[in-house]
Amino acid sequence: MATTTLAPRAGTYRRSMVYEWLTTTDHKKIGALYIATSFLFFLLGGVYALFIRAELAVPGLQFLDPETYNQLFTIHGTTMIFLFVMPMTTGLANYIVPLQIGAADMAFPRINALSYWMIPLGGLLLFSGYALGGAANAGWTGYAPLSAREGIGIDLWIASLVLLGTSSILGAINFLATIFKMRAPGLTLMRMPLFVWNTLVTSVLLLFAVPVLTAGLMMLFIDRNYGGGFFDPALGGNPILWQHIFWFFGHPEVYILILPAFGVVSEVLPVFSRKPLFGYKAFVFATASIGALGFSVWAHHMFTTGAVYLPFFSFFTFLIAVPTGIKIFNWLATMWGGKLRLSTPMLFAMGFIALFLIGGLDGAFLAVVPFDFHVQDTYWVVSHLHYVLVAGSVFGIFAALYYWFPKMTGGLLDERLGKIHWVLLFIGTNLAFFPQHLLGLDGMIRRIIDYAPNAGWMELNLLSTIGAFMIGVSTLPFMWNVFITLRGPRDAGDDPWDANTLEWATTSPPPPYNFEALPPIRSERPLFDLKHGAVEDRAASTPAARGETHGETRADAPEEVLGEPIEGHDDDGGTPGATPQVSEHAPDATPRDERPERSEARDDPRRPEDRP
Amino acid sequence: MTAHTDVVRVPHQQEDPHEATGHAEQGMNTALLGMLLFIGSEVMFFAGLFAAYFNARAAAPEWPPQGIDFIVPSLIPVVATLILILSSATMQWAVWRIRKGDRTGMNRAIAITLLLGVVFLGMQAYDYYELLTHHGFGINSGIYGTLFYTLTGFHGAHVFGGVVGISIILLRGVAGQFSARHHIAVEAVSAYWHFVDVVWIALFVTLYLLH
Amino acid sequence: MPLAGVRLAPTKRTIFWLLTAALLVAACTVAPDTGGATGGGHSDPNPPGFFPTDPATAQGGLIAGLYPIVFFIAVAVFVLVEGLLLLIVFRFRRRPGDDTLPEQTHGSNLLEVIWTAIPAAIVTGLFVLTMGTLSEVEALEDSPAVEIDVTGFQWQWTFQYPNEDLSLTGLGREGPVMGIPINETVRLRLHAQDVIHSFYVPQFLYKKDVVPGRVNEFDVLVQEPGTYVGQCAEFCGLAHADMYFTVQAMERPDYEAWVTEQQQGSGEATPPPGAAALTLTSVDINTFDPETLSAPADAPIVFDFRNVDPAAPHNVAIVGANEDGSDWIGLPLAQAGQNATYTAPALEAGTYEFYCSVHPATMRGTLTVGTR
Repeated sequence: MATTTLAPRAGTYRRSMVYEWLTTTDHKKIGALYIATSFLFFLLGGVYALFIRAELAVPGLQFLDPETYNQLFTIHGTTMIFLFVMPMTTGLANYIVPLQIGAADMAFPRINALSYWMIPLGGLLLFSGYALGGAANAGWTGYAPLSAREGIGIDLWIASLVLLGTSSILGAINFLATIFKMRAPGLTLMRMPLFVWNTLVTSVLLLFAVPVLTAGLMMLFIDRNYGGGFFDPALGGNPILWQHIFWFFGHPEVYILILPAFGVVSEVLPVFSRKPLFGYKAFVFATASIGALGFSVWAHHMFTTGAVYLPFFSFFTFLIAVPTGIKIFNWLATMWGGKLRLSTPMLFAMGFIALFLIGGLDGAFLAVVPFDFHVQDTYWVVSHLHYVLVAGSVFGIFAALYYWFPKMTGGLLDERLGKIHWVLLFIGTNLAFFPQHLLGLDGMIRRIIDYAPNAGWMELNLLSTIGAFMIGVSTLPFMWNVFITLRGPRDAGDDPWDANTLEWATTSPPPPYNFEALPPIRSERPLFDLKHGAVEDRAASTPAARGETHGETRADAPEEVLGEPIEGHDDDGGTPGATPQVSEHAPDATPRDERPERSEARDDPRRPEDRP
Repeated sequence: MTAHTDVVRVPHQQEDPHEATGHAEQGMNTALLGMLLFIGSEVMFFAGLFAAYFNARAAAPEWPPQGIDFIVPSLIPVVATLILILSSATMQWAVWRIRKGDRTGMNRAIAITLLLGVVFLGMQAYDYYELLTHHGFGINSGIYGTLFYTLTGFHGAHVFGGVVGISIILLRGVAGQFSARHHIAVEAVSAYWHFVDVVWIALFVTLYLLH
Repeated sequence: MPLAGVRLAPTKRTIFWLLTAALLVAACTVAPDTGGATGGGHSDPNPPGFFPTDPATAQGGLIAGLYPIVFFIAVAVFVLVEGLLLLIVFRFRRRPGDDTLPEQTHGSNLLEVIWTAIPAAIVTGLFVLTMGTLSEVEALEDSPAVEIDVTGFQWQWTFQYPNEDLSLTGLGREGPVMGIPINETVRLRLHAQDVIHSFYVPQFLYKKDVVPGRVNEFDVLVQEPGTYVGQCAEFCGLAHADMYFTVQAMERPDYEAWVTEQQQGSGEATPPPGAAALTLTSVDINTFDPETLSAPADAPIVFDFRNVDPAAPHNVAIVGANEDGSDWIGLPLAQAGQNATYTAPALEAGTYEFYCSVHPATMRGTLTVGTR
């Protein structure tokens, strides 16, 4: 029988790469665009930080003037949050979430593309202030009435944030629709990878928090340009209103920044410990609690205003430490008893735990209201926020980049360079930010270009500056690593880390449609199950009965194979799953004819009502 | 892992006439879910604006402030409210019609909805004109003016967005594009329109009744 | 399946121990029982440490008493978790060539309960302690001994003592000096003119925001005489870093002497005979009208000062006009829309710069003092 091949018609097959990338709606390409763009903004925001730290290294004005300095820290904060961490985590989720749930793409691919393109545009708006009379200079928190009075940079800052916020809202809608509607059969909610769960909760937070910021930004714009009185007491307004609205967004925002990193750590630890995640249900519960509680603590940023009900916010701020602690202990328990492979992704994940802890603890101090009276607006807060964002989010992001780089490109990043990167970043982070605790305790306030020469603060500031430059230097081995790996052979293979989840069950990089075929999904480690024989290659897949959906627990899902229970998490008692059955292909496996009888009906693909 | 991996088949499902598509899928249509999530985010946007209102009201010694005694449920706002509520009814009627396959009935109902929506916008514009010229009451007339125009203004912008959406489904409906099994855009626009109406009712009660 | 990575175990081990050692050394060198630093124009006896700067007030003492409890709990948690982490790295590293799976434990309800309940109990305890300390710190006396109205504006502080008829302001690293008696309750009321500021004295371990449209108030009881530097702690624009003030706490008799001295320095009575009269208007934060003035030499200058700016306070000051060479500053400030009368000392012939001490960078002019 003759076979036909479709020959591409001349002139229609080749599209320019530029056009391809500009118009793509493929979640993998969009994810890559997000990642690359946000990394550039990371470098830019980092350079800003180096300028700031260079000025502060010793007392006295070195090379900056106050106006420039105020613009520097404003743009640094805004860039790192809205143009680096948020798009980077969105990009990682964009690439990985559809793969991890066995989908072919996101729910709304064109809106996905739109969401991406709003990022460079938003960045352009933010930085255009330099060309138009001065960039924003009221801090990334833009407190009124100061922000209502400053120059055009603030209007551009407002426009930029409205655009970037809209990008996030659209992304959140996309992720929620994708996660709820496009999971592969068998992938129940309680079998989703933790990275997907964290993306889900992050998206809920974005959906409910960002619009409030947008409302506040609109109010500020009206005050600035139309004589509005929202924040002007002379017109009956209230400056504290800005803080309430901003922080109602701003606090969930910090969880938006950290939850994806939590998700990455929860992916990396089990793979490199060769054990399942300890306490999967506890993680889900803790993540959801953090998300919900995150909306109840916003005024702990406002303790010194004299305008908030202190006991309520102090209590919930203390409370939110509990689910975070649950996570840390469960991560430790995941590693305990494992067989750890200390590859670069694992180092970053462990470094995350080691250092995020410090940020969490010094945040707990801030819940002690009278102590907050002392250290609010000092370098204690600067230290805290940088521990959770750099030691937290940045470490989590690098763990993700090292972990998923081979999947995205087919090339495995060099381990040696990765370890050099890790050492420099680990030491640099601590050097840069730990001394700032002491500065804050001593009363050094933040957002100042200079400090008193006889306050005894020079040594610690100098240390901090050295640490900051070390962080800067640490990006060099990483970038070199990416460069040489991309030029080298792309031979990582489908599953270089011997991992557990679906994204490793396809090629590296995946084909445009993501999967040729999916393995059967019976637990939160479908690939692990397949490799270790907990499911058969040709697992009996009884079709769903009428009225069943992808999204609900399948009542007919086989609970056992060959007489042994399948490991999974359906046991509410928390009993650990059974040791996986040795695959029949293993050299010491029980020969097939000695295995217990299997019902033939199991292998019949026809619907029950269609069978004889 | 052997070369052949079994693929789990998607089950074939009996069609549910209440589903807006004929596809064999479970649960809510994805596009409709997207619209509902979007509406959720818009609810939070208005929540921020309402929070500003109640914050100002709670702190003010007198509310409305001295001299602002003309934001009352007079003819124009009351009629506008009734028109918007009626338009939600006609919008829903349109949805029911197309679920039964009656595209003509749907088109008629959508056209009436569109008309009512435009009338609402016209009445709002006239109300603004009256306030500005007869009372000198603008967005810069203190916190009360700022709140009034910001809240009703953003609501009006959302109504305008809804009017655009209704126009699109009207054009598509007249072009013959919808059926009992495929009319998800009508469901989505309808959900959005009801949201716009609910926000107005909250606004009307807050601005005009809650004194 | 290739397993990634060059094993770098000995180097990693070395790094971990080096880091631990470094942190311990740092902790020892910045000895925990010293805190306390001053900024401003005073030398610092104690370097920054792991404990807050030594408190000078009763309220600060309460805060400093709560801190060690929180600190040691935090250290305990830190040592526990980091210790476990280090233990895990050394004990559960995969041995080369070992490709078997470890036991695949999924969870333990008991452990979940334990590590939920214990942290919950700890934070509840901390919350209770926090609330107790808070109510004491924020308590207001029925009749404070001294009352001071503090006004913060871009980028300066003014202190007004309503019962003493005193008004003080100043710029520079010292800023205005607020004299107060020790061991007596001082009530501070905070007023803002333009944007949000914050009144912070590190050695009081306390700050409170200065918010337009709102008057915040709090009490301090200073127990140690001394000079305490304060700074605006809420970012307020261009010269936020320069918005200093000083609190000088002294024994009651010294305080009364200080008050008398300040009263003689400020507040003008009738203009001296033979004075020259000038009219000066402040239009906005960038503009005087006129920007050039002239006056006769050797006669005091009386300014009929009109502040027509609806949004900010202003005044006039003259560089180097005082006998000791310091700037003469007209006080008290003329509030928005208000007028004021200032009498500057007699000047020798020459050219002087005048400025608004509230907006010294943007409001400047030239005063030509000519020979008679």
